[in-house]
Amino acid sequence: MKKQDEFFVPYINGSLGSNTKKAIRRLVYIISIAIIVIAVVFAFAQKPFKNGSFELTSETRLTGVFHENPYPMLRVKVADDSYKNILLVGFGKASVKRYFARLRKDFETLEGKELAIEGNLIYYNGKTLVQINSEEKIKVTGNPDPKTPPSKEKIGEATLTGEIIDPKCYFGVMKPGNGRIHRSCAVRCISGGIPPVLAATDRQHNLQYYLITDMNGCAIHERILPYVGKPVEITGIVEMYEDWQFIRVNVQDIRETGETSLIY
Amino acid sequence: MGLDYKFVLWNQYKKKYDMIIAGFMIIFLFLFSGITLIVNRETTIETLVIRGFGILAMVLLHIILVIGPLSRLQPKFLPILYNRRHLGVSMFLAALVHGGFSIFQFHTLGDTFPIYSVFTSNLDYFSLLNFPFQVLGFFALLILFTMAATSHDFFLANLSAVTWKLLHMLVYVAYVLILLHVFLGAFQQETSLLTISILGLGFVLVAVLQLLSARKELRTNKIESVDSEGWFRVCEVDEIEDNRAKIFIVNHEDVAIFKYENKLSAIHNVCKHQGGPLGEGKIIDGCITCPWHGYQYLPENGQSPPPYTEKVATYDLKLVGSTVFIDPNGHAEGTEVEPLIISK
Repeated sequence: MKKQDEFFVPYINGSLGSNTKKAIRRLVYIISIAIIVIAVVFAFAQKPFKNGSFELTSETRLTGVFHENPYPMLRVKVADDSYKNILLVGFGKASVKRYFARLRKDFETLEGKELAIEGNLIYYNGKTLVQINSEEKIKVTGNPDPKTPPSKEKIGEATLTGEIIDPKCYFGVMKPGNGRIHRSCAVRCISGGIPPVLAATDRQHNLQYYLITDMNGCAIHERILPYVGKPVEITGIVEMYEDWQFIRVNVQDIRETGETSLIY
Repeated sequence: MGLDYKFVLWNQYKKKYDMIIAGFMIIFLFLFSGITLIVNRETTIETLVIRGFGILAMVLLHIILVIGPLSRLQPKFLPILYNRRHLGVSMFLAALVHGGFSIFQFHTLGDTFPIYSVFTSNLDYFSLLNFPFQVLGFFALLILFTMAATSHDFFLANLSAVTWKLLHMLVYVAYVLILLHVFLGAFQQETSLLTISILGLGFVLVAVLQLLSARKELRTNKIESVDSEGWFRVCEVDEIEDNRAKIFIVNHEDVAIFKYENKLSAIHNVCKHQGGPLGEGKIIDGCITCPWHGYQYLPENGQSPPPYTEKVATYDLKLVGSTVFIDPNGHAEGTEVEPLIISK
């Protein structure tokens, strides 16, 4: 077959000429090399993921004193006079509160009660959360703690820069659990009842976490959604509650910085 | 060519073609996942799937967009064009895995219907920096779905070739949406000069090949003069190779003039199947054979040989000495026109 006479017809066996075959083979090699290069470059170019953990397949039983407001927490004793406050979150992008409905029929209040819970641990950078996925996993095991729990310690007004994240994803469920890519998920989580947390960096780029409340110290969800997942500057009153910090904010005082967040 | 519709009319070329596509996909996913798992062990399987299939869909889309102009510029690559729809469906499946997992990961198990959430979880529609990039990807996926779902000769015949072609030209809209989806989304957070450069290079490659192909198209032979009867002078008879054609623009229509068995015939250049350029085809077994998928037409009447039913317009030709003239007023599709005998 002369070079110019090569003409491929799909349903005619043997119509693929040798020069055509050679050209296609060369193109397939080039595409193969391009695919290999792209796979390698894109794999290596990814930013490292945080080593947060989400124990999806195993459940841990914890006992502690329950505090419902502003966000459900379990105060668990970890050593003599040492306590850890564990944020309780529900299954999916939802608050844990729906699982308390059955218990509320039996108890006037759950505040200060000793609860035994079972759930999936989520932890990173010193913070721990538990995902509870059924009301069967929560039991009241004791009377209200006679000891008065410590009250929040006011630190003072502060202006912080960082990103409002949903702690469930950020501390282990998703990677990355923050930033532009994750923003819509963080919005869904906080809208669904997961507490909003400010992940802020100080001048030394150290990360600090602040549970965000309104100026009255109450939970805040819908009103903060426009600022979730973006680099922001927040001015508010910082308080310390054992191993967690809180910040009381006026939503209108939150400012988008438009800069790249250092928490990336 | 086929009379009835089957899901896939397999032949050895299609099988080989599909094996190569599968090979590309497996190599990419294996390498991307393997390297990520080794160097970035904290990754989650969901992120790996979303990223792996998203990048894979982008790579396949670039190959698809390059095949068309490449085969116009170099006919040796026409066999790659032949089964491009399988590549298109593979690309859609990769995009579907990416989009499906993303919607599941980011929007399900919340307080809103997931698709509604795609549109409402980020309302910064008037901000370039914070634009809801997932919406762009969602619309691109809808276009790719429409294309993949109609990527069969049944739809081609029932929608008409023109409508089908217009529908499938939406791939360029999908491409722009996907580029914006990536640049306004992932590249805002995963900022690597290398990955951004690769996508930029891909865009340049597609754009340059499309422009070169368009330039070649514009160079289609122009009519030089008109005689006193209004016939257009097209070329000298020797300028047409045996069993091949030359394409001319006549009254804004592309017409192919074929030379075969010492005869000349002219038909409309556009194949009824997918709009392939018949004039770049060849006479095989006495039939004009489309270079894209092998659809055939009889040169003397522009009809596909029975039992097939496709028809294209035919044109009258005349010879003055060795110069070929064409009557610009074509006949209705499938009209018998006596081939012009070339006197020796």
